[in-house]
Amino acid sequence: MAEKFTIPIGPQHPALKEPGHFEFMVDGEIITGASVRLGYVHRGIEKAAEGRNWTQDIYLLERICGICSHVHALAFCLGVEQLAGVSAPPRAQAIRVLIAELERIHSHFLWLGVAAHEAGFDTLFMYAWRDRETVMDALETFTGNRVNYSANLLGGVKCDVTPGIASQIYRAVDNLEERTRHYLNVITSDDSLAERTRGVGVMTPEQADQLGVMGPTARASGVMRDIRVVAPYAAYTDFPIQPVTETAGDLQARFIVRLSELFESYRLIRSILDHLPAGDLKTRMPRRVKAGETISRVEAPRGELFYFIRSNGTDMPDRVKVRTPTLCNLASVLTLVIGRQIADIPMILVGIDPCFSCNDRAVSLVDNKGERRWTWEALRQYGIDYYRRWR
Amino acid sequence: MTLEAARDLLRAWTQTAQTPEANRLDIVVTAGDLLAAVDALKTSRWGYLSAITGLDHGREMPSLEVLYHFCSDAAIVTLRVSAPRENPSVPSICHLIPCAVVFERELAEMFGITVVGIPDADRLFLPDDWDETVYPLRKDAKLE
Repeated sequence: MAEKFTIPIGPQHPALKEPGHFEFMVDGEIITGASVRLGYVHRGIEKAAEGRNWTQDIYLLERICGICSHVHALAFCLGVEQLAGVSAPPRAQAIRVLIAELERIHSHFLWLGVAAHEAGFDTLFMYAWRDRETVMDALETFTGNRVNYSANLLGGVKCDVTPGIASQIYRAVDNLEERTRHYLNVITSDDSLAERTRGVGVMTPEQADQLGVMGPTARASGVMRDIRVVAPYAAYTDFPIQPVTETAGDLQARFIVRLSELFESYRLIRSILDHLPAGDLKTRMPRRVKAGETISRVEAPRGELFYFIRSNGTDMPDRVKVRTPTLCNLASVLTLVIGRQIADIPMILVGIDPCFSCNDRAVSLVDNKGERRWTWEALRQYGIDYYRRWR
Repeated sequence: MTLEAARDLLRAWTQTAQTPEANRLDIVVTAGDLLAAVDALKTSRWGYLSAITGLDHGREMPSLEVLYHFCSDAAIVTLRVSAPRENPSVPSICHLIPCAVVFERELAEMFGITVVGIPDADRLFLPDDWDETVYPLRKDAKLE
């Protein structure tokens, strides 16, 4: 039988938490081919960055992702500082890493909940998201925001660790460490969850290398790709981490890697709070940045985040290229689902911890009559008028 | 693997080489030599393809530039290929590095660069009704 049946999934679909369009070719229940279209949350951020100054771009780029916002701002600031020949003071670099690790905890707990939900284990989903509130509360006390922390400046950071904040973070980490131990036990001992994860979506180290996967997805297949280790940035040179890898390469290994590396985050956070360098929070930064090109790589919760920044000597970048880890990891999904059943699609997809907003960076906005396209100015004015009405 | 190893590997196809930063090596190759250079890096397992960047240096410049970034630990090798502004094209590297297809699809739609031999030429990010003559990341693209 040469006839093919294609199942379109998305852009809007109950099993997708963000919009993406997939087409799966199936033979009965078995998947024989897959393709993807993205861009449903594409906002043209790379283009917009070319029309704003270096400082405005921090806030723009931080909004690429609602989960790992800090790493985007961090990668950008580190790159621009490198171009300008400025380096942030040690205390600022340590605080950047501190927030990055708190963000990783928030991201991994979010993922654990979503992954559990996709597996039909909603109790675990709710517990994981309850515990995630602990770290989000700590981040809110620390930076003023639950997401989009806005902690970075060019040349430093804007929030300092006070004794009160430190003790809240210590308490949060103690609580979450105990919870993580429990969840690690659950994912390795619960038979129903193991049925959905053990031996599913197996990726060998060779495949992982060839498919170009990043972050925890690669590390679960024994491929050690972690920028914090291989090319330490900010304060990771002074506060090194031990990489966590697994060899099984299946979904369960991806669960284990993500939860196990949280213990490293807890250790690192305590170590930074114990030995926080004294000194300034920021240094002076020129308004114009010398002409040149730089590459800035950081380890986001989902893997290597790559920034290419080019300056032409003005107060605005000439080009900001962002390559997010999900784009690299997504290709692996299209390969791994082949030969598996339709029911495995959500689990294999969630196994890479996909972030579509990260990938999609232009918008054609259409109003509810389906006609008008909004310009940036019109959208801005609409926002101003909207809030004026409610003042 | 070190930058020196990459420099030796790529010597046959190097037009010019630069070290813009301590951990980076930028090598200019012609579009015709790109596949041979990528193959050399791949065969000797020098790092992995981390990203492909398109660059438009402005309307007054006769060509666009495509950058292929390979990373091996902290070392980054960038292969720089020029493509004429009128009918720009580069060869696809997908038969060597299959996961490059998403980067090439993005490059093609954002810069209007034809990627010759790409296994999937469908758009990745832009909507179906996007004007086919507008390439958003070109400097002269008017988006409003």
